[in-house]
Amino acid sequence: MSATADPTTDAVAARTRTRTLPRVPPSVAVAALLLLVVVVCAVVPGLLAPDSPSQINPLEGLQPPSAAHLLGTDALGRDVLSRVIYGARSVLTGPLIVAIAVLAISTALALLSGYRGGWVDGVLGRTMDTLYALPPLIVAIVLVGVFGGGYTLAICVLIVFNIPNSFRALRAAVVERRGLPYVDAARSLGVPPRRVMLQHLLPNIVPLIVAGFFLRLTYGVVELSSLSFLGLGVPPGSADWGRMLAENRAGIFENAWAAIAPGVALVVVTVSANFVGDWLYERVEQKRRSR
Amino acid sequence: MSADGLTVRDLCVSARRGQESIAIASDMSFSVAPGEAIAIVGESGSGKSLTARAVMGLLPEGVTASGEADFVGRDLLTLSAADLRRLRGREMALVMQDPFTMLNPLERCGVQIVEALASGRGDRLSRKERRRIAGERLREVGIDDPAVADRYPFELSGGMRQRVGIAAAIAEQPRLLIADEPTTALDVTIQREILELLGSLRSAHSMGLILITHDLRVAFSVCDRAYVMYAGSLVEVAPTPLLARAPRHPYSLGLLLADPPSDRRVEELVGIAGSVPSPGSRPPGCPFAPRCDYRIGACTASLPPLAEVGADQFARCIRADELRVELGTRLAAAQGGEQGGEATLATPLEGEPLVVAEHVRKVFGGRGGSDVVALDDVSVQVAAGESVGLVGESGSGKTTLGRVLVQLEQATAGSVRVGGVELVGTAVRRRDAAAVRDVVQMVFQDPYSTLNPARTVGATLKEAAALAPGGMTQSSGELLEHVGLPASYAARRPAQLSGGERQRVAIARTLARRPRLIVCDEVVSALDVSVQAQILNLLRRLRDELGLAYLFITHDLAVVRQITDRIYVLQRGELVEEGPTATVLDAPSHPYTRRLVASVPEHPQSGAIGSR
Repeated sequence: MSATADPTTDAVAARTRTRTLPRVPPSVAVAALLLLVVVVCAVVPGLLAPDSPSQINPLEGLQPPSAAHLLGTDALGRDVLSRVIYGARSVLTGPLIVAIAVLAISTALALLSGYRGGWVDGVLGRTMDTLYALPPLIVAIVLVGVFGGGYTLAICVLIVFNIPNSFRALRAAVVERRGLPYVDAARSLGVPPRRVMLQHLLPNIVPLIVAGFFLRLTYGVVELSSLSFLGLGVPPGSADWGRMLAENRAGIFENAWAAIAPGVALVVVTVSANFVGDWLYERVEQKRRSR
Repeated sequence: MSADGLTVRDLCVSARRGQESIAIASDMSFSVAPGEAIAIVGESGSGKSLTARAVMGLLPEGVTASGEADFVGRDLLTLSAADLRRLRGREMALVMQDPFTMLNPLERCGVQIVEALASGRGDRLSRKERRRIAGERLREVGIDDPAVADRYPFELSGGMRQRVGIAAAIAEQPRLLIADEPTTALDVTIQREILELLGSLRSAHSMGLILITHDLRVAFSVCDRAYVMYAGSLVEVAPTPLLARAPRHPYSLGLLLADPPSDRRVEELVGIAGSVPSPGSRPPGCPFAPRCDYRIGACTASLPPLAEVGADQFARCIRADELRVELGTRLAAAQGGEQGGEATLATPLEGEPLVVAEHVRKVFGGRGGSDVVALDDVSVQVAAGESVGLVGESGSGKTTLGRVLVQLEQATAGSVRVGGVELVGTAVRRRDAAAVRDVVQMVFQDPYSTLNPARTVGATLKEAAALAPGGMTQSSGELLEHVGLPASYAARRPAQLSGGERQRVAIARTLARRPRLIVCDEVVSALDVSVQAQILNLLRRLRDELGLAYLFITHDLAVVRQITDRIYVLQRGELVEEGPTATVLDAPSHPYTRRLVASVPEHPQSGAIGSR
């Protein structure tokens, strides 16, 4: 209420506006390139894979890498490289669906909860707390096991359990901005609540949404692969990295690559997504901060 | 003890941005003798704070200083970090602006005061000894209650915290005290006490004092000499009485004129056009030239030297000599003061006033039953076309009352009728709520968060205009021109505007809604003096043109004098006095109002107080 004038921000950081072209650090460039390769694999695996991923060839089981099979074959004689390439599809689609759904739902709920406050906030907040208290993977294992597996069910369970985390971060950001004069101004002008949320609050939390998206994507990859590894989620026989890890453990001494390759692929995808996500967040946040 | 104080020569502070180096302050030379008080005066962006921090060796990352700073025989700028650390606290100390973040919230005040204290041999002092010294220092800053040493900062008011901060700064009896805007965040009544305290401490300890401030009145009330900074360089150096009487640089004159007097109303406030350039975009030549009324071609050629223009007076202006009489005349004219249109009371119009608030009570529910009464039995009226002031210090409830009027808060009890609609005790129907918004709108204090950073100025204005009764009739270009900005600003984002420009856009946004009353909540308090005058003039003009009514919420009596016809004085949620502005300020009847009026540092033009 008294003068919060801040004439001491005198210089430096204050109102300096730099508009430089984004210089992409090498690590991010490499990560983006790797992600791109994985995406291409997922979209057109047929163009890249030397073989069919599901062609069983019992006579050529568990061969080490050779000219015919660059990463060798698994116990059923399927080409490991082709299975890794085809596996990109299930490793990306599931987590993408999870990340998009989680962010969409948690953003909507966070806006509602943070802006409305009151009982809406109370009910949503306590619901999220309850979800938080349950261990997602274990619940997923139980549910998928009881209801007879299924990729769709696994994805649904992961969506529900990933919401609380994003919700909390976004709600806190909404609450912080709700009290700012520009929101007060919109309210006193008579801007309808829906518009205040969508036009005034939403654009200002976009950096957090971007960051949250990539974080959920990597969690999704790891969690879905874990379920596949345990034999839940994707149907048996499908080319999926988590499943391949599990299936090919047995032949680790005959063809180690059959187990290593999908593992490496998982690490590459998650680490790359993290790098790209962090960088994007910094960029968007910087742009927003350049006030 | 050597008698020498601090002598700074050719101090340059610069920041790296990418490859280039940007000058924040250059060629700063100043000196403080023991027992002397100097002021470094400048608006935001002038580089005054970083200059002081350079002396203390407390520059932020990426900012460097060069030059010489001789302090008791040592050059501060060449000392190692460890040596500087030994000097800080013991030989020189810093008091910062924000009393709310200056102290560590997790430590008791007493501990923080004596934190760095050690005995002569460098041993830690005994517990008893430390307590004794803490109590002593607290008494010195006017806190007689020794229990304060055992309190945590959050248990104290802003003024008390600033005192504790000062007590900590003087704990080791430094020879030099740098106070960076020590009173800016404080209420006027407390501001005066803190200034007096600083003044008495420096004479008691024969301590050098550097006061950094944007406020000439504050500088004049405590300091012997003032160094006026603009855009990184000193533009004038003079003893304070001389500067107040006969400024020799157009910028100093501008500052003197822009500061509204609290004892009378002036016809037209004289702002300085434009705003302070940010470091990195300062114009070549004299940095003040683009805003100067006396600019000639040669001004932009090169930076003039800081030349002696009289006994003990220096100015950085190539026309200092020829302008001497001119500047003096303008100041004298302003002082003689055409006693401009004193409070022409708006003739009450027919029908009910726009706002009738009766016996309003607002209680904020604290946790654990500790309710806070923000407003208690407050009755206020605002008629159409009238400008009414709501004066009080922080915690007086003035902003709460404003927010009740624009329906951002709900009053707990009483009655508030805006445009005939009752806002208290009943659920306001949607149509009525809209009708209330057609009558009253609000402009907020902080120019840096009043606009949505994600939207362009045009989008902000269009949204408001579309909600006006009868739909959109003014384009955002027209609105911008109305508040003195070019129409092309519609495409800009808030980040590209200065504080004053943002506040103009915020005013345009309320105008777009075409209200009859605007609640102005401390709209100029976060702005530089030179810009403050521009905004006050704009508000006056809009009132004349549009017949607007204002409810002007402020703690600044000079501002309220310039723009209101009537005022209400609030103290801790209660109304203590009301009446025509001139009457209340000239002859206050309530003790609290008397104290408020007495606390205003005297206007620079009426001469300095308390110095030497």
